[in-house]
Amino acid sequence: MTNYGLVIDQERCIGCHACAVTCKQENNVGLGQYWNRVLTEGGDKMDTPAGTYPENGEDGTLEMSYQPTACQHCENAPCVKVCPVNATYTREDGIVEIDYDKCIGCRYCMAACPYNARVFNWDEPQTVPEDGTGDVPARPQGVVEKCTFCSHRVEEGLDPACVVNCPADARIFGDLDNEESTVSKYIKKYQTTRLLEDRGTDPKTYYIRGEMSPGRPQTSDKMESELDDVSVWSEPKDNGPVEESGGSGGGGSHSSLSNDALPHVPAFEGGDD
Amino acid sequence: MSRETASSRFVVPEFGSAGKLWVGFLAALVVVGVAAWAYQLTTGLVVTGMRNVFSWGLYIMMFVLFVGLSAGGLIISSAPKFFHSHRYEGFARLGVLVSLACITVAGLLILPDIGRPERLYQFFTSPDFRSPMVWDFGIVILYGALNLWYLWLLTRRDLAARGSRLALGVEDTEAGRERDRTLMFWTAAVALPTAVALHSVTGWIFATQIGRGDWFSPLVAPVFIAKALVSGLGLLLVVSVLVSRFTRFSVDREELTSLGKVLGIFLAFHVVYLLAAERLPHAWADHFGFWAITGSFLIGESAYFWLWTVVGGAVPLVMLALPSFRERVSVIFTASALAVFGTTFEGVRLVFTGYDAANIDAAPGISVGGEYAGVTTDIWASAGSYTPTLVELAVTAGVIAIGALIVTFGLRYIPIQAENESTAVATDGGETRGEGR
Ligand code: SF4
Ligand code: SF4
Repeated sequence: MTNYGLVIDQERCIGCHACAVTCKQENNVGLGQYWNRVLTEGGDKMDTPAGTYPENGEDGTLEMSYQPTACQHCENAPCVKVCPVNATYTREDGIVEIDYDKCIGCRYCMAACPYNARVFNWDEPQTVPEDGTGDVPARPQGVVEKCTFCSHRVEEGLDPACVVNCPADARIFGDLDNEESTVSKYIKKYQTTRLLEDRGTDPKTYYIRGEMSPGRPQTSDKMESELDDVSVWSEPKDNGPVEESGGSGGGGSHSSLSNDALPHVPAFEGGDD
Repeated sequence: MSRETASSRFVVPEFGSAGKLWVGFLAALVVVGVAAWAYQLTTGLVVTGMRNVFSWGLYIMMFVLFVGLSAGGLIISSAPKFFHSHRYEGFARLGVLVSLACITVAGLLILPDIGRPERLYQFFTSPDFRSPMVWDFGIVILYGALNLWYLWLLTRRDLAARGSRLALGVEDTEAGRERDRTLMFWTAAVALPTAVALHSVTGWIFATQIGRGDWFSPLVAPVFIAKALVSGLGLLLVVSVLVSRFTRFSVDREELTSLGKVLGIFLAFHVVYLLAAERLPHAWADHFGFWAITGSFLIGESAYFWLWTVVGGAVPLVMLALPSFRERVSVIFTASALAVFGTTFEGVRLVFTGYDAANIDAAPGISVGGEYAGVTTDIWASAGSYTPTLVELAVTAGVIAIGALIVTFGLRYIPIQAENESTAVATDGGETRGEGR
């Protein structure tokens, strides 16, 4: 079984909002709405730290980090359980998605989501460009929408747009059920937290705090499972098969892309701050 | 039983000019409401005060209120029937009529809240039985149907006696009346658990939600039941007094006083006991000193809290607690009206506690999703705020007017003044117990 999840390395995140913007473009999210937003953990305003400068006898406790926040694709998703008409559902691959043709717009799911990840089309959405970029179908007025992990890209073997376009490689997407996947390895190796864990929603978005990870290993648009070998960065000696799935076509056809698999992050241990 | 006696039970034999004016006024409200809804349908819910952070508003607050209001009548008329008592007989029909009107209002209030009402058929074609909203949808419809059936059952022989087409072919026979009494018992037996289920399920819509502040509390469902008893009975008393004032309907003063006393007991249970039970553990756990605990226990957080507990709780409770006081119709009327008024704010407060603070409120916050006017670039909010718009007020008033119309036409076309069952053969037509006229 595939069970997609996301790891966000907050130590890598530079707070550039590229993921938020690319999400808006990729998914034709209407003006005034965000499926993915970058929050500042720190001061009261965006890009402001909490704490004080180490001057005038202050102790210098300045602290700030960024928390990109979108639908967490919860395992025990309250939004799925409350939807009266099965418009919100969990796909086979673990992605929580909305059937926009079914949604009656009751907004019970918005009440249920502890993360405020969902937005409602209060009027006919206005997008830029006007007709959208054509990557995903338009949603009408009166339905709820949210992050889909770019399921339309995932189905084509591509990583979500936010993951590919993160300049800091802070976002890593992959299969949580596959122990060899980068996401699984990072979750094991690094200290991760999930948002509002006490609510029991069991989110599939993990945040790395503390030690910085090497980030997303591949430079390709493709998902890890589509690449020949992504283990180069972690186990340089091991060239054995990484994917047990390996169903589609095998590695040979991708050999010309093997460059994609090379890490462009040199070290993974002991990075300095 | 003679025709003349029977016909005297029409509390509104025909609409006078005041009656016509009243109906016209309500109809105008309905027309305005429908127009406002049409405007909202075409423009979108952007014309309401709701936004992404605060995504349920007046419609849901009023839905909660009217579900509660629909309790009183049915319970007051069915509980005695269930115990084979003739108590409060005089309120039975009016009670069920008011219940029917309220549950209709509650059901209709959902429509304008829905973004795409034309897809509501999905409730039948694709329901998810995990959703409390599906349970509630079912129980509201069942409860409405039950009220309609019960009202008809209570009155059909009388309707037949005066040849009303609303009798739907039923005939007025002694054996039939006897059979109806058995049916009433069984209907009452079903109605009571259905009422309990209605209020619990409506409470669970909120109580199951772990993501919304105080909603997630096992007490919400019992509180909804207590609230329904208070507001439902309160409304029934208000309506009874008004109807006896403006129509030929007569209330039994003794029963009115007795119901006032019952309302006082409900109020005490709800506002004093349940509220204390809900607040004490939090106050105790959050504070250290004795007075700090007491203070946080007694002092509520918002204006809605005060409107509900003091204006709608303590004041009417005191009014009804003093025996010499509660004999007066005006006191009962005022206390009941205050109880209903206060309960309104309990629903308002409930919705606010769910939405006014976001769980994750780091800057810039949550995109609110309103129209991007270009005047300000601020589409962010890290806390919820809500003020209903004129459109919402107009739609809500229109729906409530439909309820008022149901009661008005019920008074006109249904024999609301109960026959005195025990003296059904008496020539004075069962008015023996009434002192009013
Ligand atoms: S984050 Fe919210 S919208 Fe996404 S799956 Fe969880 S509850 Fe649903
Ligand atoms: S708004 Fe749509 S997706 Fe959300 S609970 Fe209602 S029907 Fe389901």
